[in-house]
Amino acid sequence: MIRCRGLVHVYPNGTRAVDGVDLAIEAGERVAIVGQNGSGKSTLVRHWNGLLRPTAGEVEIDGRAAAGQRVAALARTVGIAFQDPDRQIFAGRVRTEVEFGPRNVGLRGAALTTAIDAALDATGLTDAAAANPYDLGFSRRKLLALASILAMGTPVVVLDEPTTGQDARGTKRVEAVVADLAAQGRTVVAISHDMRFVAENFARVVVMAAGHVILDGPPEEVFAEPSWPSLASTYLEAPLSARLGARLGLGSTPTDASLIDALGGATAGG
Amino acid sequence: MPLAVLLVGVLPSALAAGILPRLVRLAGALSLPIGISVALVSIFTRAGETVLFQIGPFDATLEGVDFAAQIIVRLFVLAAALTLFGLTTEPRAFVVDLERRGLPPRLAFAAAATLEAIPTMIERALAIQSAQRARGLDTEGSLRARVRGVMPLVGPVILSSLTEVEERSLALEVRAFGRPGRRHLLWWLSDSPSQRLVRWALLAGLVVLFAGRAAGALPALP
Amino acid sequence: MLELVDVSYRYPGYARLVLRDLNLRIDDGEIVGLVGANESGKSTLCLVASGLAPASVGGVLKGSVMVDGAPLAGRPTHELAALVGLVFQSPNTQRSGVTGTVFEEVALGPVNLGLPVAETLARTREALALLRIADLADRNPAELSGGQAQLVAIASILAMRPRHLVLDEPTAQLDPEGTRLVGEALRALAGTGTALLIAEHKTDLLDGLCQRVVALEAGAMVLDGPAAETLGSPKLEALGVEPPSAVRLRRAAAERGLTLPAGAAA
Repeated sequence: MIRCRGLVHVYPNGTRAVDGVDLAIEAGERVAIVGQNGSGKSTLVRHWNGLLRPTAGEVEIDGRAAAGQRVAALARTVGIAFQDPDRQIFAGRVRTEVEFGPRNVGLRGAALTTAIDAALDATGLTDAAAANPYDLGFSRRKLLALASILAMGTPVVVLDEPTTGQDARGTKRVEAVVADLAAQGRTVVAISHDMRFVAENFARVVVMAAGHVILDGPPEEVFAEPSWPSLASTYLEAPLSARLGARLGLGSTPTDASLIDALGGATAGG
Repeated sequence: MPLAVLLVGVLPSALAAGILPRLVRLAGALSLPIGISVALVSIFTRAGETVLFQIGPFDATLEGVDFAAQIIVRLFVLAAALTLFGLTTEPRAFVVDLERRGLPPRLAFAAAATLEAIPTMIERALAIQSAQRARGLDTEGSLRARVRGVMPLVGPVILSSLTEVEERSLALEVRAFGRPGRRHLLWWLSDSPSQRLVRWALLAGLVVLFAGRAAGALPALP
Repeated sequence: MLELVDVSYRYPGYARLVLRDLNLRIDDGEIVGLVGANESGKSTLCLVASGLAPASVGGVLKGSVMVDGAPLAGRPTHELAALVGLVFQSPNTQRSGVTGTVFEEVALGPVNLGLPVAETLARTREALALLRIADLADRNPAELSGGQAQLVAIASILAMRPRHLVLDEPTAQLDPEGTRLVGEALRALAGTGTALLIAEHKTDLLDGLCQRVVALEAGAMVLDGPAAETLGSPKLEALGVEPPSAVRLRRAAAERGLTLPAGAAA
């Protein structure tokens, strides 16, 4: 679905944000991209809908080169939900706001209404459909920004820091959305700083540092003890369950559930 | 007269500051568009006797050309002088010096902050543009499409700026910006006797020019 | 000591009470954490505790807010600035935009207070040293990372030597490294005898940092006790607050009839 070959991006001020990335993401995968600020995560994903063009290397979306396509065209395949909802909200009503994206990619009539309803439902905003976005709190505005992208029905959905600034309820909502998208067979990619959120909801973790991909695999691998030095090089730490599991000699336990299972197994085994 | 000012004052200063090419380009960009339109009008409408050529019912007179030339020179000198100030003065240093000479701190801050506001707003506008393009807003297509895109681009810029204003002003209050009275600044602009001499000389020159014009000793525009 | 006594507050033009009958006391050197769902009143409590509400924001405050026994009511905002400092979550909005170096930025507070030059210089150096960012002194404030910028924001407030410090989600926009830096700085700060109130979602951060944690629900204080107690309370999830990782794991283990080996969750 998404293929990057030797991707390099150098900003006008000389910063080499992405320095040779080879990455392939198949349809239906759930991938998390992690790494400290400045490691190139945001720069990387912006190549997938054409907002940024490579300085060198190629990007292929759904089998076609991204190079010849306009952003408006690529946006039908790859929807990116950005961090700051206040940097995109412009409508006076929630429903009108959500309508913007799907309308742009060509939905009309019954299909449009269904898409909007589904997006509002998934983000828990159905009751607020007629409200002014700025009457909602920050949590719900962030969910509104997410709904605006979901309604577009893109095969690939990219979430840029979906849980930053969210409280527990908002985070649970985001987790439900991710699971829902995966169930629909859509590809989900999330940039996040929350290692627990990543370990519990994504089947694949890509770790970036200084414009390179330094680790790429399932959470069991990426958060296991042998990977800790690499994580540390980009100022990341494995979730507590992984660290505990290692300390107790229970192997790789990136999620709470896996740690408890391992603990139960260890206890049962005697 | 303005030509003299240009040649003796503005251009050598620009040369000394190493900005002569930039100055000429910027001053030209500022003054020429207006200058040329005024010139075109006055060449054909100025009352005069010596007709140079005709286009339809319009006569181009020598007096008109003379007037037009003077206008262009004056506009250029004005633009050049302003540009010289703009290019050689660091805004922050200028504002700090004003405060030292008695400008109230709040005004000083307002002036300095306004200058800073532009890069911030540009950054914000770019972020908003990215987000809306990611939602399918076409900024590369037809003119009609682009016109339709104005609200989604401009709306959030204004809205988010306004929302931010409250938090920004609170952050400023917390830094005691509202306190009345003078401040003991840490930084100052260095001054020298030669700079002071030039400033006094310029002021004196201005007085002489005004006096000369009032006394009718200097030529006015024809 | 920072004290809120029977405090209720509503914003100007709104009838709804955002804070209801709050009582909170923070002693010198104490670090108190504040948790609650978004919209529970955490930010408002921070504004009220620093005196900015109602002094700058307006609105109606019932009850009293006192610093070392003296009420904040009726004081001009620049006086409040020297009593209780407030740090917000966005490093960008806290940057004044009128300074060229971090040193100038941190010195701006004391300069605004009208302090003599020698005093300003001393306080600025002190604040930079305390947060261990003296090496950033010559950098442009607009070119720092989020974590660094937030440290500069904290230093800028500290240079004014407030008696107490209130922080409203200071690490919300920071990556794990930035969060760690701020956490360390706050630990160092509490050692100097300043009372700290920190509103946060990141309960893991509060877990190692605070002596006490209080929880808000719809403007009322529903929990107030030692950090371990509040963060371990079963009510936390119902309040819309994610418990710290250690608490979560212990609970998950207990559900299966297992116990985590003692001392493991650290």
